[in-house]
Parts: sequence; C-alpha cells; structure tokens
Amino acid sequence: MDTPPGLYTIRIRGRLGATALSAFPSMECELERGETVLTGMLEDRSAVFGVLGQIEALGLELLELRRIPGTLDQCP
Amino acid sequence: MTSMATTQRERHTGQPTPGDASVARGLLERADLLQQLDRAVTKRVTVISAPPGSGKTSLLRAWADRSTELRRVAFVSVKRDQQNAQQFWSAVLDAIRNPARPTDPKAQPAATAGLDADQLADAALSELTDQVEPVVLIIDDLHELKSADALTQLERLLTMLPGFARLVLSSRRDPPIKLHQLRLVGQVAEIRAGDLRFTESETRELLAASGIGLSDAGAAALYQRTEGWAAGLRLAVISLSAHPDPERFVAEFSGTDRAIGEYLIAEMLERQPTEVQRMLLRTSLVDRLNGDLADLLTGRSGSEQMLLELEDANAFVVSLDAERTWFRYHQLLADFLRLELRRTSADELGDLHRRAARWFADHGDVVEAVRHTLAAGDWPDAARLVADHSFRWVLEGQAETIDAVLQAFPEGASADHPDLALAHAAAELNHGRLEDAATQLALAESHVQSAPPARRRRLSVAIASLRLALARRSGRFSEVIEQVNLLDASMSDESNDQIAMDSELRAVALLNLGIVETWSGRLADSERHLAEGAELARTIGRPYLEVACRAHQGFPSKTVSVATARERGRQAVALAERYGWEDRPIVAPALGAVGGMAIWMGEFDEGERWLRRAWEVADPTVDPAATVLLHVATGMLHAGRGQQQSAVEAFAAAARMESQLSGVHALAPRITGWLAAAQARLGIPDKARATLTGFSAEPEQIGLIYDGQMGAIYNARAVICLTEGDPAGALDALQGVLDATPPLVPTFTVVESHLLAGIAHLSLGGRSAAAAAAEAALAAAEPDRLMFPFAMTQAAELLNALPRHETAHRALLADIVDLLRGEPVPSVERERLSQPEELSPSELRVLRYLPTNLTRPEIAQELYVSINTVNTHIRNLYSKLGARDRSSAVQRARELRLLSTGRS
Repeated sequence: MDTPPGLYTIRIRGRLGATALSAFPSMECELERGETVLTGMLEDRSAVFGVLGQIEALGLELLELRRIPGTLDQCP
Repeated sequence: MTSMATTQRERHTGQPTPGDASVARGLLERADLLQQLDRAVTKRVTVISAPPGSGKTSLLRAWADRSTELRRVAFVSVKRDQQNAQQFWSAVLDAIRNPARPTDPKAQPAATAGLDADQLADAALSELTDQVEPVVLIIDDLHELKSADALTQLERLLTMLPGFARLVLSSRRDPPIKLHQLRLVGQVAEIRAGDLRFTESETRELLAASGIGLSDAGAAALYQRTEGWAAGLRLAVISLSAHPDPERFVAEFSGTDRAIGEYLIAEMLERQPTEVQRMLLRTSLVDRLNGDLADLLTGRSGSEQMLLELEDANAFVVSLDAERTWFRYHQLLADFLRLELRRTSADELGDLHRRAARWFADHGDVVEAVRHTLAAGDWPDAARLVADHSFRWVLEGQAETIDAVLQAFPEGASADHPDLALAHAAAELNHGRLEDAATQLALAESHVQSAPPARRRRLSVAIASLRLALARRSGRFSEVIEQVNLLDASMSDESNDQIAMDSELRAVALLNLGIVETWSGRLADSERHLAEGAELARTIGRPYLEVACRAHQGFPSKTVSVATARERGRQAVALAERYGWEDRPIVAPALGAVGGMAIWMGEFDEGERWLRRAWEVADPTVDPAATVLLHVATGMLHAGRGQQQSAVEAFAAAARMESQLSGVHALAPRITGWLAAAQARLGIPDKARATLTGFSAEPEQIGLIYDGQMGAIYNARAVICLTEGDPAGALDALQGVLDATPPLVPTFTVVESHLLAGIAHLSLGGRSAAAAAAEAALAAAEPDRLMFPFAMTQAAELLNALPRHETAHRALLADIVDLLRGEPVPSVERERLSQPEELSPSELRVLRYLPTNLTRPEIAQELYVSINTVNTHIRNLYSKLGARDRSSAVQRARELRLLSTGRS
C-alpha cells in the first residue's frame, strides 16, 4: 500500500504568490496559462496528502494531481 | 484546551439581524439558503460538506440564531486538530446541557471530570434523549476531529438518535461516518459547495446592503471572478468598502491571474493599519487569543480594541464568548497569516512560541503550553512540562490528556528524556500495562544521574512515587515500603517552589503506602497514613485523591471500631457522590468496607446492598487487592446465611485473586481458614484439609505480621474436627488461639474460637464449659456487635445451653438469637418508603427492562449505552423507589403503575 517516492506534478487554478508558495517549499513552481504547476519529489503517501492538505487549507482549487511515470527507477 | 461550545441563545452579540450594520459588512440574510437548511433538518442528519470559506459556519450561526424560538440548538465547534475524544464529548455534553451558560473557553465542566470518552458519549446521548423539546445538535468543523474513537462514538450516537433529535455535521470533507442506513430510509440531507455559492442576484444584494456602489458590469465581473465563493465575496466587500475607486478594484481583480483567496487576503491586509497587520501576523500562531495574550505576542498594548474592531468589520475575526474576550481567526485567514509569518519573520518564530507557551503555562493550559514549547523546538522543556503535570492529569481522571500530549513527541523520544519516560510510565500505568510502565520507569531511572543536580531530586521523587504505584498495583508490598522510606528521606529538604508539586507526590505516596499497609495487615499505620494523605489532598485541592484516600480508609478503620470503619466508608462514598465519582473503581473499597462491616454486625441484607454497589464499580485490573476484600465479604455473607456452597465459591475466588498478587495479602490466612471451614461444613472435609495443607507451607514466608492471623487456620482445623465428629481434636486445635495473648489475635477470631470451643464442649457433654465459652464469646463480641461469627459457626444450639440469667450480655444475645432464627436485624439504615421522586425518561426506559430476565450488560446492549450508565440508572431507580433489589424495585414500580403500557 505504500506509495513509492516519485516525481509529482500538481496543477492549481490561478497564480500563487510568495505566501501561498511558501506552503510548498519542496516543489518547483511554473506558471502555465493562468494555472500554477508545482513539480517535485514526494517521498511517500503522507507527503502527497500533506501537500493536498495545504491546498485544501488555503482554499486553492486543485485541477490535477499526477505522478510522472518512470521516476521510481531513480530510487535505490 | 476545551473545544469551543456555545448555544445560540446567548450568542446575540455581534450576530447579524436584517438591517443591522453587520449585513453591510459582508454577511447577508440568505433566505433561500436558510430555508434549504430548514428543509434539511426535517431529516435526522444533515451533512454540510464544502471547502473552507464556503460560508458553512456563517450559515449555521444565522440559522441557529433564527431557530431558537422553535427548538433547542446546541452548537459545538470542534477545536483545531482535536485528537482527544474525552475533550470532544465533554464539549458536546456541555453544549447540550447548558443552554443558558455563557461559554468560557477556559472552563472545565466539573460534572464531567473523571469520565472517560465512552461515558461522556453515553451521557450526551442520554441528555439528548431526556430533552422534552425538539433539539438540534450542530457539530461544526468536524474535519478537525482526529480521534478515531470519537468518530466511532459519534457513529453510534447517530444510530441511537432519539426521534425528535437532529444532528447537523459540518465539514470541509465528507465525514468518515457511515450514513448509508439512514440514507436508505431517506433520513440524510446534504448541503454542498454548489448550494452554498452566492447567486449573481445575491451578490448584488450583498453589495447594495454593504453600501458599495458598483456598476452592473462591475458586480457581474466580481461574481464571475469569485464564482460566488462566500469568502471571496466577503473579502472583496471589506476591501471595496474603503476603496476610493471600486470599479478599478474589480477591474484589477478580474484582470489578474492570481489565485483569488491569496489575492483578496493580501488586499485586505494591505488596507489595514501597520499595527493591525503586525498583530494579526504575530498572533496567528495561537488557535485562540485574548487581548492579554495578543499584547504579549505583539509586544505592545491595545490588541483587544483592534480585535473588537476587526470582528465588527467582519474581517474574519470571530469572538468565542458572549463577553467578547476570546477570539479566533477564520481558518483560511489564520493559515495565510501563519505562512506569511514564517516567510517574513522566521527568526522570531521560536521566541513567539516560547512567549505563548509561557502565557498558557501561567494560565493553567498545559496542553497548549506543551504544544508551543514543542513548536519552539524546546523538547526538554516540553518533556518537563508533561512530566510535571502527568500526575495531576491522572489524579483528575484526565489520563487521555497525557496520551494526547505524548503523541506530539516523536516516537522513541523518551529514550533521551527521563521526563518523557516518566510521563509515558504514568500513562502506561494508568492503562494497566504494568510491564510497559516498568520499562519506561527503568529508562527514566537510567537517566537520573545525568540530569542537572537541581532536577535530579525532583526526578528521583517522581520515579519513587511511580515505582510505589507500580509495586502496589503488582502487589509487591515489601517493595512499596522500601520506596516510601526513600521518598520520605528525599522530601526532608524542600525548596519553596517544589512544595506544591511535592505535596501532590507526597499525597500519592501516602495513598499507596496506606493501601499497601492495609493489605499487609498494618491497619493502624495504614489508617493514619490514609488520613494524612486525605487531609493533604484536601489542602492542596485534589478532590479525586482525597476521595481515593478516604475510600481506602474505611477498611483499616476497623482497628478503631467496626462502627467507625462503617461510618468512614459511608463518608467516603458521600464525598465521591458530591463530585459525581460514585461510579469510579476508587469507591469500591469504601462500598466494600461499609458492606463488610454491616455483615460483621449481622445486617446481612444491608451488607448485601452495599456489596452489590461495590461489585458494580470494582475493577479488578485497577485494584486487585480491593477485589480480594469484596470476594471475602461476599463469602461472609453466604457463610452467615448458611449458604455453604456459595460461600466456598466466593472464598475460593478470593484465594485465586490473592494468589495472583506477588505479595501476600493480609487476608490470606483468613481466606484459607474460612474456605476450609466452609468446605468442611459443606461436607467435603478432604478438600478442606487439602486447602489447609496448601497453606501450611507458607507461614515462615508470611512473617510476624501475620502471626495473629494464623488463628483463622487453627479455627478451620477445629471446624474440620467438629464436622468429622472429633470434638476433642477440635479443642486441641483451638488451644493455639485461646492460649495466645489477646492483642495478638484479632477479636473476631477469638469470638469464633470461643464459639467453636463451646460447640466442642457441648458435644462432649460439658454443658458448663460450653456455657462459659458462649459467655466468653459474647463478652468479646459485645463492643463491636460482632454477630457474624455466631451465624457462621451456627451457634444456636450452643446459645441455648447458656441460661439467660447467667449472661451479662442479654441484649446482644437476644439480637443474635433473632438473627439465627432468620429474623432481620434492626439496621442503622432507614428505608425510604415515601412517594418516589420523579423518574427521568432514561430511568424509565431502564426500569422497563427490570421485569425481564436480561442481565445488566444485556440491558446496556439493548439500549446501546455502557454498563456504567445502566448501573447508574438502576441505582437511581432503587434509591427513588426505595427498593433493595431488582425484584423489590419491580414490585414497587408495579404498585406505582410505572410499568403499565401507554408511557413511552
């Protein structure tokens, strides 16, 4: 049941400012057509739900959550 | 540390009414939505599930304010990250119970202290059931409830909800509660984000009501940009109302691709004066605050005024009490503020948490203090706080608090901190996990030497005190006495600030010492130590501890007199009743002592009544030594009534329980002796002999303290001889007792020996020797009215041999003869036979099960309540009906027509 570590992308509606972005210190941010795309390694399931919890708490609108395939191999 | 609970009848301050200024500040009477909720609560359960800022709480508050004419509304807001089921139910119970009491966030409801979460949940259900008017229980912020137990209990409450009660659950997410059964029967209503959204016309209404002049196009743009999200509109209104050019604000807002929540909160903050911004940021790290705490965190005065103004402006600041002294921020705002604080002033965070911790510690909220100390990264300090308070929590029956606080520390942290290991030990001990407690204690002990000298003494005292409790629980009595000596020595030099804490430890030590002395037969010492412990507990304001000391003081008080023991036991029970603790296992020894002493005085029915109560509350895992006492008293009751089979069973149970203790119980020889005697009287002398043989190997082990108690063994040998037709052998056996110097042998044993000797003389034809023995027995029995030995030895025939004019104890003799004839002995107790008090609906429900053959646990199961709840109701029923037992309660209830159909 353990979610393996992996590279995730999370798409959020709207551009995030410095305050909101500071809730996701481990992720890189890009802006695409008015949507914020956060990308980063998330260690396990708790890390994934931790990020989702922040998105919920800040009233942000989650558009997409995706694990990028193939990233598993990088881990010993 | 309590969850916030309010009922709407008092919460008029700051609440919107149509046309009032607050509407202009962003709250709108949303008639359609209120009606939707009206319709929803025709169903038993309403679930409101929507993201933060959707307007759930505003809707509920507005609805609750409007609805109080029609029904009673109990409103509970779950505290942030609530992991403590006990606290959650305590808040629920408080909200249901006290509609007319303003909520003080610091208040601990006294009536619920010492109850565990299950009992509190039961109490909440029975409060709901007892309501006469329709009642709606609203639980807001249910997503903050992180206790799996509490959710399970909530689920059970749901299935048991009485017909006229309604539950409204509000959460950011669909609550993890099974609703499908209710859904199948159409009893679940839902209100979701889509329902909560403002419509375009509501948006216009809101703007108009707020006095914001915006063009139609501007209003439409605002509506589109926010998509009717309530928080977005409220934030926009705050910024717009002070904005020089509202159209430009909307245009900028519509034109930006920023995420709307963050954008609008930033806009709102920017419009606040600098000192308000500063206060909001620096106070964001506490979950609730008042002016004093806010001043401390900001480092300047005037915070309360700012908070009041922010609330008046509806700027996401909410007051928690009718007096408006406590506040909290809307969670959306709080979360942004915290991020911003961490981003811009990371270096100040530790200091702010430390200040908050100190403030909470000074104001008695240790749980919050620990949380902030941990957040500041000061683990050793946090550990010390926990250790210093864990005793108090145990003593106040708040063991769950220790568990909850300990969860905040990472696993294995106790390996480095002796304080933390101590707190863990207290928690394990409280759960009855003695081995785990011992492991943690050993861990703490291994660190003592490395602690700073000032701390070392305190640690040693705490460790000794816990060792004491552990040894007492495990029945290692000799170890307890060693520990107490250690404790006494280390307490001889006290520094002032340590005295209060140490008094608590000392009272705990006295309690444990007294209990151990009781069960190791040093009754006089025990009585003295328990009295001292009770007095100390009273002085330092620890009623739970005082009740515990007094409850254990009953039995050893029989060294003073049997009547004193009985009276002290009754006083302890009365004290426990005053605090609502009469159901707690700590009361069992007092109830057992009262029952036991009544039996000694020949009042068997009275004794039985008290014993029954004692068994209801006793918990063998919490206090095995006291349970031994209850078995013995039960055996006495049967033996006194001549029910030998039952007596054998009870004494055998006492022996089994006693053998599980690792020390020897003071009652051990008596248990063995009476078990053997009952077996002999039952006609199984072989077993009786075997019982005695099993014991005879041990006297050296028992040591001097028990020497006098060996009389019980000699008496048993005599009984065996008598039942086997060997009266001469019986007299031989009794020499051991009758030749001993009187103070060494307990009086009741002497009475019994004289009676057995008399019976032996009688069957040898020595009538005058028999009469002399009977007279000696009466003389010994007189001071304490010890009638029980006459019943147990079946001394009727012997007493007939005593000519009435030859006794100096005629009155006692007459009572004993009555008792032996099966006539009730006049009791100290008075019966209540007058018109019964009104029975509560819950009591009536339980009453209806009494004529059935269901047991108490089965009744509890039928009614979906705990056995403790059923016991409480039954006890109240007995008392109100003046009944002694189930059958007399049923009879009385029939006479009063309480069992007739028609009442539901």
